[in-house]
Amino acid sequence: MVQSVTWKIGGEAGFGIMASGMMLARAFSRHGYSIFSLNEYPSLIRGGHNAVTVRIATEPFHSLDRSLHILVALNKETVEIHKKDMMAGTILVYDPNDYAWKPEEVPEGVTLLPIPFRELVQKKGGDVIMRNTVALGASIAILGAPFEYVADVIRDQFKKKGEAVVNHNLDIARSGYDAVGAARGAFSSLILHAPVKQEDYLLINGSEAVGLGAVRAGLKFAAIYPMTPINSLISFLADHAKSLGIVYKQPEDEIAGINMAIGASLSGVRSMVATSGGGFALMVEGLSLAGMIEAPLVIDVGMRVGPATGMPTWTEQGDLQFIVHAGHGEFPRIVLAPANATEAYELTILAFHLADEFHVPVFVLTDKYLNESQWCVASASMKGTVTIDRGKIMPTSDVPSEKSYKRYDLQVPDGVSARSFPGMKGGQYVANSYEHDETGLVSEDSEMRTAMVDRRLKKLDAIKKIILPPVVYGDQRATQAIMTWGSTLGPVLEAMKLTGFEIHGAPTKVIYFPWVYPFPVEEATAALKGVTRIIDIEQNGTGQLASLIREQMGIEMTEKLLKYDGRPFMPEEILEKLESQKS
Amino acid sequence: MSSLTADSFKTGYLPTWCPGCGDFGIWMGLKNALVELGIGPDDALLVYGIGCHGNMSAWMRTYGVVGLHGRTLPLAQGAKLANHTVPVIAISGDGDCLGEGGNHFIHAAKRNPDITVIIHDNQVYGLTTGQASPTAKDHLKTKSTPEGVTDAPMNPLALGLVSGATFVARGFAGDMPGLTKIMKAAIAHKGFSVVDILQPCVTFNHVHTYQWYRSRLYQLDAVGYKPDNRLAAIEKSLEWGDKIPVGVFYEELVPTSEDHESALAVGPLSGQSLGVSDIDGLLGEFR
Repeated sequence: MVQSVTWKIGGEAGFGIMASGMMLARAFSRHGYSIFSLNEYPSLIRGGHNAVTVRIATEPFHSLDRSLHILVALNKETVEIHKKDMMAGTILVYDPNDYAWKPEEVPEGVTLLPIPFRELVQKKGGDVIMRNTVALGASIAILGAPFEYVADVIRDQFKKKGEAVVNHNLDIARSGYDAVGAARGAFSSLILHAPVKQEDYLLINGSEAVGLGAVRAGLKFAAIYPMTPINSLISFLADHAKSLGIVYKQPEDEIAGINMAIGASLSGVRSMVATSGGGFALMVEGLSLAGMIEAPLVIDVGMRVGPATGMPTWTEQGDLQFIVHAGHGEFPRIVLAPANATEAYELTILAFHLADEFHVPVFVLTDKYLNESQWCVASASMKGTVTIDRGKIMPTSDVPSEKSYKRYDLQVPDGVSARSFPGMKGGQYVANSYEHDETGLVSEDSEMRTAMVDRRLKKLDAIKKIILPPVVYGDQRATQAIMTWGSTLGPVLEAMKLTGFEIHGAPTKVIYFPWVYPFPVEEATAALKGVTRIIDIEQNGTGQLASLIREQMGIEMTEKLLKYDGRPFMPEEILEKLESQKS
Repeated sequence: MSSLTADSFKTGYLPTWCPGCGDFGIWMGLKNALVELGIGPDDALLVYGIGCHGNMSAWMRTYGVVGLHGRTLPLAQGAKLANHTVPVIAISGDGDCLGEGGNHFIHAAKRNPDITVIIHDNQVYGLTTGQASPTAKDHLKTKSTPEGVTDAPMNPLALGLVSGATFVARGFAGDMPGLTKIMKAAIAHKGFSVVDILQPCVTFNHVHTYQWYRSRLYQLDAVGYKPDNRLAAIEKSLEWGDKIPVGVFYEELVPTSEDHESALAVGPLSGQSLGVSDIDGLLGEFR
């Protein structure tokens, strides 16, 4: 019996690969297993190679590793592409009618398990496209779980299509389950222990976690132009618009999107946009507008491989410097960068609160790996009360005023002046993209300009007081430190788990930054006390966090472990590269 | 509000437009329309673009947003969806609305938000000292077209009509009573109302003067034109030359962008409670 199993299914796009991955993941998460599921697919709807990797474990973990215990190949190409991923002990499940693999054609120690997917489907009167369901049934059997694990998920998946469809799918899954039958004894090594703790888990991708956080924080309006990897946020908001009483609007482009969201924000609702780097490039002038008129706004940027169209369905952390520096002119902003779905939920809620408290744009900086992977989240972490504080708002009055309202009052000590919303009596002011006076009327006066810049930038002092410090993992006294941010944290922690937080035999701590801008200089200085060796690990080609740290702290990191092939780090890969570097 | 007059909108700033600018007429017409509709300084939201037209924000005391060049309509739509009880009027120009913001204009028209857009149409970019705008016509010589404009002019009325606008009208900056009447009707119209206003630029357009327009304009309602047929309106919008029609070209009532949002049925978004009480139901989908 084992504590952790990694299962991969691959095949042609359009053949239900993603759905199979999701169903297998759910089959186990419903029984308290910890799950992580990674989708890999090219930027096509049909015809390319799709793969889903699901890790199932009896205890929580941080990322995938290089293990591959079961490879389900729905076509011959899958075996060819993933041959390098197989290891001694991998069970290769395939249809012998695709290709009759011989032991010498696969890596040593791989167990061949031919199952005639097509024949089984046809015998049950199913369409050939349903062979993923046979594979699903077979996979459950290999993992030693009762058929009910998958039956339960199939029932939910197809219940909208009626009982006949449910039963047909159950029948087909059953045929896969039974096909493993006699051979099952040979795989006892892959039977999973019971989960260590009975936790109520949810399976959520990063985009959905952002969406849940947003609606928990009182989001009322979102204008989001479709773009990988944030499309499932659109689905989440659009599907729930009616039941949650929110408006999701599809704009004609990202420029319209950010301006709509700013308009909604000015009129008094919590609003957001989401996009990837290329779409954000179009939003940049709008960001500057939000900075000038001090419109609270949450911007979710899901990074993917750039520049330009890049590799749209692959992951990268290449836009940190872009986000931190985007926009003409100077204005305060906040950048939060969650590492996983739980943090994406929490930091999105925080983002809305910060936007309202300081009247600034707040970024939730995510990536493809975070947005499109399925994460295991304890349902308890998403329950409970979320207190919503809209920040400073002009007291309501019934009296129309002869004067305009001082929306940009220079006398406020923290730089944050109370807002009014169109329709509020006596609250009229101009949210002006030109430099302006206290009521928003255009002003090019030298003193007024200086005072307004000072007031806007003064907010940074207040923001710094509530900054989230970096999180330190491992022994606080370690003299070696890894610095990382965003979703790279997972593989880094998994690597450290493998060595017991040691590199080259010396204790090593991990310093992780969920809040990247304004950079927590003092907090990072404290975390680095006594550290003599720093290693930067991030997923881009230049070391953008390292650059930010040099800019903000004057520390130059010479040891960088960078990756920019679009694939997430594997923990073993991190260790190999670290081991090969001199200490 | 009984005391509401055109003076209620004073800010203390005086206009900086060139003496004789068509913007004065549009500004007065708008104030008159607001007064007659009983819309005071804190009742409506005016969303301005960037251009000479947008400078109106400094001498017009209402809730205002001065956006970025071209982005008036997205800002206006977001504001309208957040609080659809507040009248939203976009003050835009031919460059702002049809050049930088051309795509936004088309998409706003197809969504039919309850917004009025007033296009200051003088065929030139005044604020940048006299380049051709997208509506420049009749081989107009400008700083950017010294040999005369060769691109075909954009037709805001026809574009609005084919894109789905539900109220399309043309006014003339030199006709105060006519402008007031058209703007009142446009603001009162429930849906996306486009008012293109022919406007002399006394500094940079020496062809399309007050006199040039006065000798050509005729009122649509004076010739028995009925604004109830989109196809006839498109045909009418193409008239240009010795005779140029002004007035309402088209009007129809269909559900607005806001009507289609179920969340707004119970009142404006901005007044609704923020908390999600039933998080369990939402989370259940992810099991």
